[in-house]
Amino acid sequence: MAAHQVHHLFHAPIADHSFSSDKKTLAVARENNVELYQQSGNKFALSDELKGHEKTVTSVDIAPNSGRIVTCSQDRNAYVWEQTPTGWKPTLVLLRINRAATFVRWSPSEQKFAVGSGARVIAVCYFEEENDWWISKHLKKPIRSTITTLAWHPNSVLLAAGSTDSHARVFSSFIKGIDTRPEPSAWGERLPFNTICGEYLNDTAGWIQGVAFSPSGSALAFTGHDSSVTVVYPSAPEQPPRAMLNIATRLLPLNSLIWNGETEIIAAGHDCEPFRFCGDENGWQLAGSLENKAGEVRGAREESALNMFRQMDLKGQAQADTKLKSTHQNTVHTIRAHEEANGVVSSFSTSGVDGRVVIWNV
Amino acid sequence: MSQINYRTINVDALDPESSANFPMESLLPATLPQAASASDAASAAAQVRQMLRGGDPEGALRTVLDTAPLGGDDRAKEVHLATVIDVLQGIRQGEMTRILEGVCSGDGGAERADCLMKYLYKGMSSAAPGSGTQTPKKPVSPQDTGFSQIQARNLGEGGGGQQMSVLLSWHERLVEIAGTGSIVRVMTDRRTV
Repeated sequence: MAAHQVHHLFHAPIADHSFSSDKKTLAVARENNVELYQQSGNKFALSDELKGHEKTVTSVDIAPNSGRIVTCSQDRNAYVWEQTPTGWKPTLVLLRINRAATFVRWSPSEQKFAVGSGARVIAVCYFEEENDWWISKHLKKPIRSTITTLAWHPNSVLLAAGSTDSHARVFSSFIKGIDTRPEPSAWGERLPFNTICGEYLNDTAGWIQGVAFSPSGSALAFTGHDSSVTVVYPSAPEQPPRAMLNIATRLLPLNSLIWNGETEIIAAGHDCEPFRFCGDENGWQLAGSLENKAGEVRGAREESALNMFRQMDLKGQAQADTKLKSTHQNTVHTIRAHEEANGVVSSFSTSGVDGRVVIWNV
Repeated sequence: MSQINYRTINVDALDPESSANFPMESLLPATLPQAASASDAASAAAQVRQMLRGGDPEGALRTVLDTAPLGGDDRAKEVHLATVIDVLQGIRQGEMTRILEGVCSGDGGAERADCLMKYLYKGMSSAAPGSGTQTPKKPVSPQDTGFSQIQARNLGEGGGGQQMSVLLSWHERLVEIAGTGSIVRVMTDRRTV
């Protein structure tokens, strides 16, 4: 496994991060602003700041093709930022929510984006040409609590959402005039807006923190506060799933996950390192950490008796062990595919509370 | 017009949108087993004690965890808790690791580990037997989260100390096998024991 790249940007939590499609621009949500970093050499340097939100920015996403950036914040607003010759120009999107916006993602078609919120709704937003305005439509039923995470199906119509009511749901966000009618699949045949194509609760019922569709879109994985990953294979519309597999891990809870092909999931969270899960419809298991800690060499400092007593005198302990052995020094919030081809991920990026963005080779 | 003290009205109870009215039963999975009654728990207890006397502590622990009344009423859960604690106290320190490895492996082993962890925490939170009458617990949080915050802690004095030390040494060994994930699931799982 080749070495991973660590970019320690600042000493503040990163709520979310997103790379542009050429991987040269990195957007990170830092407090009330979004900072844009530009690659120079093998480093990322601060190039611009997107200022406009009045409270903590919770999520940021760069559309790969159009390059537009969407951000959302606890101030209940979302902005779409477009690059103009004079800099980034924000457009306010009226979300019509009365609680914080928690999560935003562009649909793969880039015609729409979805915003999760604490107001128990998902705002699906699309651009209306005649009014030159972003419109939001609400997915409401049967959400009982805050939406914490969202993921788009490759067809840009189905949307998976995880919530603090412990359910992962699959909705249709079909909008006439914007979307082309999706092919019927195991999730559903006719899919008017707000069709509930699936509603899943695992036995141990934790808050859902991460959801993801498999590359083909025919399986859904979600993880939550119960330290488990659940994979759902739907059978047919309105039928119970063909298989619903739960992997209860011995780890701390996981926050975010991505698929790598149809038989592998990479997830990271409170254990500060990414883990690999392997399996298929017949069973899944934890394959291990992607972090190579075996070759860890402790500081090249000479371990003399003098040094030991000096450390004990200065710090009250022989060896300072305030540093974690993992690359991330705190909880990982977001994991995203960095480079992928046909659903197979060759590298992925993680960001977290420690202010680091790490690019990992698979 | 009678006097209504509007300040004392619990507005959360009247607001269907309020989070205080969150339907907690919506967190119970559909696979929850049928509600067990106290008499079911008592008959399971008799069977388990029989196995324990017959020199099969591993089978006893396995059975007692498999028959946990996850969907039962409070009485059944109390009876079953007493049985679990009896089994745990009936196993010698030296045998704990071997028996745990046996119980937590194989088909359904992970569920048994999580179930045992629930009983360890429940055992540690309930007042020690013999330390006076068990006062009915008053939920202090607006929702019944299952975790009462204000309660006489069992500080390891008197008769409860023995039981606490047994539970703590089981806890230590169970964490070695099932990890911290098992502790986290005690907090999230609504299928309480």
